[in-house]
Order: sequence, then structure tokens, then C-alpha cells
Amino acid sequence: MEMIVTNPYDVDAGGWQGELELDYGAIAGKTVLQRSYHRAPLKVQRSLYPEGDRCCHTVMLHTAGGIVGGDRLATQIHLAPQSHALLTTAAATKLYRSNGPEAEHRITAQVEPGAVLEWLPQEAIAFNGANYRQTMAVDLEPGAIFAGWEITRFGRTARGEQFLTGMWRSHLELYQNGVPIWCDRQGLPGGMDTVTHPHSLNQQPIIGSFLWFGQPITPELLHTLRQLPPPPQGEFGLTTTQHHGLLARYRGASTTDVKQWFITLWQYLRQQQLNRPPLKLRIWG
Amino acid sequence: MTPTADPTALLRLLQLASPTLPIGAYSYSEGLETLAATGQLTNAADLHGWLIQQLQHGTIRIDGAVLLRAYAAAQGGDWEAVIQWNQWLSASRETAELRQSSQQMGQALLKLLGDLVTPPLPWPVAELTPCNGAIAFALAAWQWQLDPQTALLGYLQSWATNLISAGVKVIPLGQTAGQRLLWGLDPHLDQARQQISQLDDHNLNSCGWGLSLASMAHETQYSRLFRS
Repeated sequence: MEMIVTNPYDVDAGGWQGELELDYGAIAGKTVLQRSYHRAPLKVQRSLYPEGDRCCHTVMLHTAGGIVGGDRLATQIHLAPQSHALLTTAAATKLYRSNGPEAEHRITAQVEPGAVLEWLPQEAIAFNGANYRQTMAVDLEPGAIFAGWEITRFGRTARGEQFLTGMWRSHLELYQNGVPIWCDRQGLPGGMDTVTHPHSLNQQPIIGSFLWFGQPITPELLHTLRQLPPPPQGEFGLTTTQHHGLLARYRGASTTDVKQWFITLWQYLRQQQLNRPPLKLRIWG
Repeated sequence: MTPTADPTALLRLLQLASPTLPIGAYSYSEGLETLAATGQLTNAADLHGWLIQQLQHGTIRIDGAVLLRAYAAAQGGDWEAVIQWNQWLSASRETAELRQSSQQMGQALLKLLGDLVTPPLPWPVAELTPCNGAIAFALAAWQWQLDPQTALLGYLQSWATNLISAGVKVIPLGQTAGQRLLWGLDPHLDQARQQISQLDDHNLNSCGWGLSLASMAHETQYSRLFRS
């Protein structure tokens, strides 16, 4: 593994120019992080194998404590055929208040035939006034599987903060053969109306989405997933995407609840489609 | 005296935006039935507020923006771009129900257009199947030589009319209350049209968790008037 750090804080651009490139390969049934390049403040911990060689677990870090206006972060992930990587983050990501400039994190992933990418970061906390744009584009080749979730808290609610100014955007796009099959483009402008109205946040600070895109979700499987233990509070629902992927959404007040529900769905699907016993990472709490 | 600069265009817009256009728009409530059943939509003011939020932040803006793009692409003979916008719109429908309603209306309108225009059809029907409502509306507007901004306003008005009709049934409201609601939306519809025209491609995003959740819940709602 090479490690290069070059003057990553660009004063002229007004923020960090962080980069992460992760290249996974499968060698004799073992997934290996073959190449890793990083530029601060993005970084990864050493690979872990808590469930055997097949799946490589990678914990991503943001060493500057959070994302500020003007930051330009880029993450590129490549999975060779038959490789399997699970990516998560060491802690919640803070999206700090900006005095104007937008912070951006561009994530691209290429998942080659038969490979599995699980993108399961911990929650993000958008401070009031944050101006953040995240774009994630995933190219899924035949037989590739993608699982991903995203949990966002709007405002530091413990201190009574609401997301009254700023802009949060998160775009997730999945492609097969260059054709978009899933485009989830969320954009939430801070404001009293978006915070309170039932159309947007409905006075709930937390939203979450979980997407599973693998073998088709049959009506029977969808029915079964709907019977799994739901979050004790909050609003939530399941539906299917084009080509029979699964989408779960949550709106409520508890990151613990939403994480637990997503983990329940994820464990079930993982068992069904990847033949994996239930797993819960210690890092998720 | 001429009633308008282009009477034919006006008549075609009235036909295209009419609730009697047989494309099945009346069968969908876009989550309103669930919101009414769960007590989140209880009167005309609630519905007014919901529609305004949709126009300011919701997915209807994305439909409108894609309508303008499909119109411009058709005008330039760029059918590849029309096909791509249609695929993009299909991928951006948040729930199975919303995708079904968009595609069912789009398919019905595309078929109707095929029956109305003199062959051969200028657009590639097979590659546009399934066609989303906003794309079929754009093709009709272009084919019938409507001005794109007027077409967009007509699209928003017909969307609002459909949802108000749904609201009148599920809340329920009187017919006059429904008409008063539509009357009061005029400035908001035109404001939305202007904002939609300013959207650039990389800001085509929306915020409608309430709609997404209501539509998901509607897919399993026990008793319902509207399709899922």
C-alpha cells in the first residue's frame, strides 16, 4: 500500500482537496485492497476481515474532524470481478456551517461483474448553515451487487439547533451499461417550511435511505421484509426500484432506530443473497 | 377580432391539459389518499400548503424541468437525448407507485398522440417505452407547436387540477372549495414555472420525503379509491 500526502489544504481554493482511491481485487477467493491512494483529510484504516477472506472491510476516516465550505473531496472505488468490499466510516461526519462556499464530495464506484460493494457509512450531521453537495455514481456491471445507506441529521438537535439556512444535497445514481437505473437526487434547502412541513421533514431531524440492488426483490421477499421488526417510532416505508431493487426510507428522531432497522433489512438480504450469517459491526455501536 | 394571437395553440393546450384527456390521471392521488387517511390532510388549507411545497421543493419541478429538456431535444431532432431524459426520469421515480403512475399516463398519452397525428411518427416509440408523462406531454406540445413555457404552465396546471380533484374526494372537500384552491394557486404555478426554467442539470434535485413515505404507505394501504 502506498501512502502519499501532498499539500492537501489549498488556501486559494478555500478548503481541503481530499482524495481517496481504493482498488480491490480478488485473489484466490480473498478480496485484497490492492492499491490505495489518499490525500488528507481522507484516509483509510488497515483492512479488516471479521467475516473471512471473501469480504474486505475498510473503515474510512476524515482526519480534519468535519467538512467545511469550500472543501473538495473525491473518492474513487474500483472492485475487480468477484471481489467484495464493505466500506464504513469511523464516526459520524460533521457538515459544518459555511459562510457561503459549497463543500463537495464526489464518489464514484465501478463494480465489475460478480463483485459486491457495501457502502454503509455512519450518519452525517448537517449543522445549520451547512452548504454541502454529495454525488455518488455507481457503475454496476452484470451480476454486481450494491448495498448502500445514508443517514442524515439536520441540525445539532441536542442543543436545539434546526436546519434553518443552508443547502444539503445528496445524489445517488446507479448505472447499468451506461443507462441510469436509479437516480435518487435529494436536495433540502434549510428553512422553516422544509423543517416543519409534512412534505419535507415534518419536524423530524433525521432522514435515512437504504438501497439494495442485487438479485430481484420478489413480491414475496418484499412482503417478508415488510414483516421484519420496524423502527419503534418515526415514519418509514419500503418500495421497489426499477429492475427490482429495494428502497427503504425513514423519517424520525433516532439514529439508533434507523440504523437498527437498516441493519435488520441488510442482514436479512445479505443472508438471502450472499449467504452470510448476520453481522453487526462494533463500530456502529 | 381574434381572441388570442394563436387560437389553434390555445385550443390544443386546452385539450392537452384537460382533465378529460383519457390518460388515467384521475386514478392516482400521489400520496394524498394516505395523507388523508392518516390525518395529515384534513382541510383545504392543508392541501393548499402541500401543493405549494410540491411546487417549491418537490418532484413536480423535476418533471417540469425534464419536460423543457425533452421539448428542446425534440425540436432539435435529438431523439437520443429524448430517450436519455426518459430513462433518467424513470430512474428518478422514488417509489414503484409513482413510477407506475408516471409511466402509465405517459404510455397512454404517447398512444393517443400516435392516433391523432398523421403517420409516420417522428419519435422512436419502441425506445421511448415505457414513456413517462412529462416526456409524452413535451412531445405533444412540440408536435402541436405550443410554446414550451406555455406548455410547462399547462402541465403544472393539469397536475394541480388532478391532485385537487383527488383531494376533493379523499378529504373530502366541496367542489367550490376545490375551485377556490385552484384559483388561489395561479401565482404559485407561474412562479414555479419561472423557477423550473432556471434549474440547471446538476441541480435537478428535490425534497419530498413526505410524498415518498406517503406513496410507500399507499402501496400497502388496506382500503383505497386510488390506484397503487
